[in-house]
Amino acid sequence: MDKKFARRICGGAALAVAGTLALAACSSSSSGGSSSGGSGATTLKLVVADYGTGPGNASAKYWDGIVTAFEQAHPNIKVDVTSIAWTNFDQQVQTMIQNKQYPDITEGDYFSNYAQDGLLYSASDVLSDPGNLLQTFKQQGTYNGVQYGMPFTTSSRTLFYDKKLFTQAGITSAPQTWADVEADAAKITKMGDVGFGLPLGAEEAQAESLLWMLGDGGGYQTGGKYTINSAPNVAAFTFLKGLVSAKDTEPNPGTVNRTDLWQQFAQGKVGMINGSPALIPIIQSAGVLQASDWTSVPIAGKTGPLTDTLGVCDNVAAFKPNGHQAQIKEFLDFAYQDKYQLAFDKEYDLLPATTTATKALTSDAVFAPFLTALPNSVQYPSNTTWATVKSKIQQTIGLAVTGSPMTELSNLQQIATTAS
Amino acid sequence: MPAALRRLTPLLWLSPALALIGVVVLWPVVVMVQSSFQQIGGEGFVAGYNGTTNYHNLFHEPDFVSVLLRTVVWVVVVVAVTVLLSLGLAQLLHQKFPGRRLTRWALIIPWAASVMMTALIFKWALDPNVGVINVILHHIGVVKQYGSNQADWLGNPTSALAWMMAVAIFVSLPFTTYAILSGLQGIPGEVYEAAQIDGATSWRSYLGVTLPLLRPAILVATLINVINVFNSFPIIWEMTRGGPGYETSTSTIYMIDLKQSDVGQAAAMSVFNFLLVIVIVLVYLSTTRWKEQVDQ
Amino acid sequence: MITTTKPAPRLDTTARTAPRKRRPLRTWVIAVAAYVIAVIFLLPYLEMLVMALRPNNELGRATIFPKHWTFSNFTTLWSSGLGGSIGTSLEIAAGATVIVLLVALPAAYCTARRRFRGRVAFLLLVLATQMFQPAAMLVGIQREFSDFGLPPTLSLIVVNAAFNLAFAVWILTAFFSSIPVELEEAAMVEGLGRVGALTRITLPLAAPGIVTALIFTFIAAWNEFLVALTLSLGQPPSQQPLTVAINNYIGEYSVDWGHLFAAGLVATVPVIILFAFIERRVVSGLTAGAVK
Repeated sequence: MDKKFARRICGGAALAVAGTLALAACSSSSSGGSSSGGSGATTLKLVVADYGTGPGNASAKYWDGIVTAFEQAHPNIKVDVTSIAWTNFDQQVQTMIQNKQYPDITEGDYFSNYAQDGLLYSASDVLSDPGNLLQTFKQQGTYNGVQYGMPFTTSSRTLFYDKKLFTQAGITSAPQTWADVEADAAKITKMGDVGFGLPLGAEEAQAESLLWMLGDGGGYQTGGKYTINSAPNVAAFTFLKGLVSAKDTEPNPGTVNRTDLWQQFAQGKVGMINGSPALIPIIQSAGVLQASDWTSVPIAGKTGPLTDTLGVCDNVAAFKPNGHQAQIKEFLDFAYQDKYQLAFDKEYDLLPATTTATKALTSDAVFAPFLTALPNSVQYPSNTTWATVKSKIQQTIGLAVTGSPMTELSNLQQIATTAS
Repeated sequence: MPAALRRLTPLLWLSPALALIGVVVLWPVVVMVQSSFQQIGGEGFVAGYNGTTNYHNLFHEPDFVSVLLRTVVWVVVVVAVTVLLSLGLAQLLHQKFPGRRLTRWALIIPWAASVMMTALIFKWALDPNVGVINVILHHIGVVKQYGSNQADWLGNPTSALAWMMAVAIFVSLPFTTYAILSGLQGIPGEVYEAAQIDGATSWRSYLGVTLPLLRPAILVATLINVINVFNSFPIIWEMTRGGPGYETSTSTIYMIDLKQSDVGQAAAMSVFNFLLVIVIVLVYLSTTRWKEQVDQ
Repeated sequence: MITTTKPAPRLDTTARTAPRKRRPLRTWVIAVAAYVIAVIFLLPYLEMLVMALRPNNELGRATIFPKHWTFSNFTTLWSSGLGGSIGTSLEIAAGATVIVLLVALPAAYCTARRRFRGRVAFLLLVLATQMFQPAAMLVGIQREFSDFGLPPTLSLIVVNAAFNLAFAVWILTAFFSSIPVELEEAAMVEGLGRVGALTRITLPLAAPGIVTALIFTFIAAWNEFLVALTLSLGQPPSQQPLTVAINNYIGEYSVDWGHLFAAGLVATVPVIILFAFIERRVVSGLTAGAVK
C-alpha cells in the first residue's frame, strides 16, 4: 500500500512540477528585456526609479527605448535595466550595496554617504559636459567640493484643489493661508469628503513635512545645521495636528502615502492636496475630473502663499566598484541628450535637469511657470547624514500629528545631530 | 575494519549535514555577534570595533521598550489563542463525518500558501475605501462610512495589531491543529472506554485523560509556534511596515528597519532577540520537564 | 512513526457541547460546523481569485464582486518578467530539495541505525537548529554571503537547504527507525550488500517519509520571502524569486492589486496541490520522533 502511495505521490508531484516548468518555459521566452552577454561585451547595470502610474507608462519602457537605441550605436555595451518603485527604492539600493552587488548607474535618490565611502565616480568622470547640468542643483549633489550626484529630473510642488468640491461647499476663492486651508477643509469634510489630503506615510513624508515647515519659515536646516525641532517647525506640526484632530484630513495620515491620496484626489474625493505636475496624468487617466474641475496654485503658507517652493531633484549616480567608467560615460552622454530629457518630461510631466533642455522648454505654456520657480526652490539637506535622517522621518514623522509635535521633532533632531 | 576507524564512519555519513549546518546556520551567529560590536553604517562598510556602543544606543532608543512589550503581547496572544483554537479544531476533525477529508484539505491551504500572500490578501481586504471586509461590514451597518477612521483598521495601531494577530493565528492554525491531531490519533480507544466505565463525563474525561496524553504534542506545537511567531516577518511588514512610527513593530521588524541605517546596531538587536528566544524556550522547557518526553 | 487511525470514541468537543442526541444528528452538526470552518479557511484565497479576475478600472469601486470578470490580469502577467521569476523560484526550490536529499539521507540513516557516541548530541543539535530561523540571523547571513560573493540564486539554494535540513533529518530518522533492521539483514544475507539492502529494501519502504520531507522542503523554499528579499535585490526582476517579484507590485503609483493577486494565484496553486498529496503523511511525519 505504501509503495502505491509513494508512486502516487511521486507521480502527482512530478505532474505539478512539470506543469509549472512548462508554464515557465513558454513564458520566459516571451519576456523581453535586454540580455547580457556576447563575448567581449560589457554589461552595465542600471537601476532606476519607477515614475509610472501603471504598466502602461512604467519607467522601464522609457529606459528600454534609450537602451535599445544605445545598444545599436554601441554594440559592445549592453545595459540591464532594473526599475524599482519609489517606496522601496532607497531600501533596495541600500541592500544591494550591503550585499556588494553594486550597480553601475542609479537614477533616483542620491546620498552623499556613497560618495563619502568612495563608491562613486564624480560628475566630470562620467559626463563630457557636466556644466550643462542645472547649476541650481549642483550643491545638493556635491561632497567635499566635488559633484557626484547628477540631477536627472526635477519638479516643484504646488497646491492642487478640486474646484467642483469647492463650489459644492460654497467656497469661492483659492486657499492662500493656513487659516484658509483650515476653514475650507472643514467645509469639505462636512460634505463627507476628505478636506485636505495629508500624506505622511513612509513613501515621501519628508516632502510633505518640508512644505508645511516652509509655510512658517522653517525647514530641516538653518545655515547648514539641522534644526528640525525649531519653533516654526513645531508650530507647523501643531497646526497640522489640529487639522487632523478636527478630522479634516484622512484618518491616520502617518500610514497614508502620497500615491494613495493622489488616486483619491483623482477620483474627486479629496478637496486639497499638495502635488507636483506628476499628479496631472493620474487625474487624466482616472477620468473622473474634467480639466475645469481642478487647478493648482502656490502652496499655502502661514500668512500667504509660498514664494519658495520645494524643488526636488532626482539624481543619477555612477558607481566605481565595477570599474566601468568608460562605458558609463558613453551611456550617460547618450542618455542626457535633450531629446531624451524632453521625452521623459513630457511622459511624466516633470522638469528637465540640463540647461539646454530647459531652454527648449521655456516656450511651453504648461511648464514655463514651474521652470521659473525652480531657481528659488528650497532643497533637501545634502550632507552625509541625510540618508539616516530621511529614513527616520519617513517612518516616524506621522506620529507628530497624532502625538506631540515637540517630542517627535526633537527625537528626529537628536538622530540628526548624533548621526553626524 | 579496525575498531577506531569503525567509530569514525558515522562522521562520514553525518559530515555533509554537519558542514551545511555549520556554515549556513551556525556561522552567521558568530558573524552576527561579531558585527554587533562593530561600527557598520548603512552601506555595510566596517569602520572598526566600537565596543558596546551599539548595545548602548540600542537600549536607549526611544521605542525600544515599547517594541519589546509589544513583542511579548504579540507572541503570548497569538500562540495561546492558536493552541486553544487548535485543540478544538483537532477534536472536531478527529470525529468521523462525511466530507472530513475535504475539510482537512481546506485546513492546509493557509499552510501551503505563502504567509506573504495571505498578509497581502488581508491588507487589500482591509483597505478603508474598497476593501472587501469593509464593504461587507458597510452592508451590514457596522462600518458607517468608507474612508473613515473606523474603516481604517490598519491605520490605527490598536486595531491594526488586532487584525495582524488574527492573521498570524490564521496561518498558525493548520500546523498546530495537525500536530494535535496526530497526538489525538495516538491515543488508544481503550483509555476512553476505561474512563467512561468509571463514570466520567465527556468534559471530565477530556480534561483528565485526553489533555495529559496530548501534552507532548501540545508541547512541540507551542514551542515551534513561539519561535515562528517571534520571528514572524511578512505579516507585519506587508500590512503596516511596523508603522505608524514603530507602533506596530515587533522586535524582528524593528531589527530589519534598523538594518537600513545602522547594520551594527541591527546586529546588536539580533543578538538580543536571539538571547530572548533562547531564554523563553529554556524557561518553557524547564517548566514542562521536556527531557522526560524525548524518547531515546 | 506511521500511526494508524483508530476509530475515535464518542467525545464531545469542548466548545460545542451539544446535548446527547441520536448519533446521526450529532454527526451532521459536527459536519456542518466543520464545513463552515473549511469555508472560512478558503475565503481569503477565494477572494484572491476574485481580485485576480477584476479588471483594472474596477479597482476603485467598493463592490464585493466585479461587474465584469476578465482574464486580462493573467494574460498581461508574463510581460513583466514573471515567467523568469517562476523559473528562478523553481531553481531555488528544486536545488534546495536536491541538496537536502543528498545530505539528510545518509545522516538520518546513520542516526537511525547506529547508536554511536554523540548520537544524542547530534539529535539535540538538529533539534536546536530547528529553532534558528533566518529572520533572527539575517544580519549574519547577509554579511556572510555577501563576503562569499556567490550569485544570489546559489546563495538562496544553500540557505534554504540548510534551514530545512533539520526538519528533514528529524522526519527521516523517525521513518528509518520504524523500518525493522531484520529486513535489511535478511537482504544482506541473501547477498545484496549494505548499499544494495539500502536501495532495494529500505528506501522504497521509507519512500513516503522521504517524499514528505522533500515536498516540505520544496514548499518552504518556494514560499520563502525574507532571505530572498535580502539577497536577491539588485537582480533584474526575472532573476528574482516569485515572492520577491510579487512584492515588487506594491508601492507603484497605484498598487497593482489585480496583477499582484493573479501572480499570487500562480505562485500558490501548484504548492497547494503538492501539499495535498502529503497531507496524510504530514500528520504522522511532523511530530514523529517527539511524539511516540
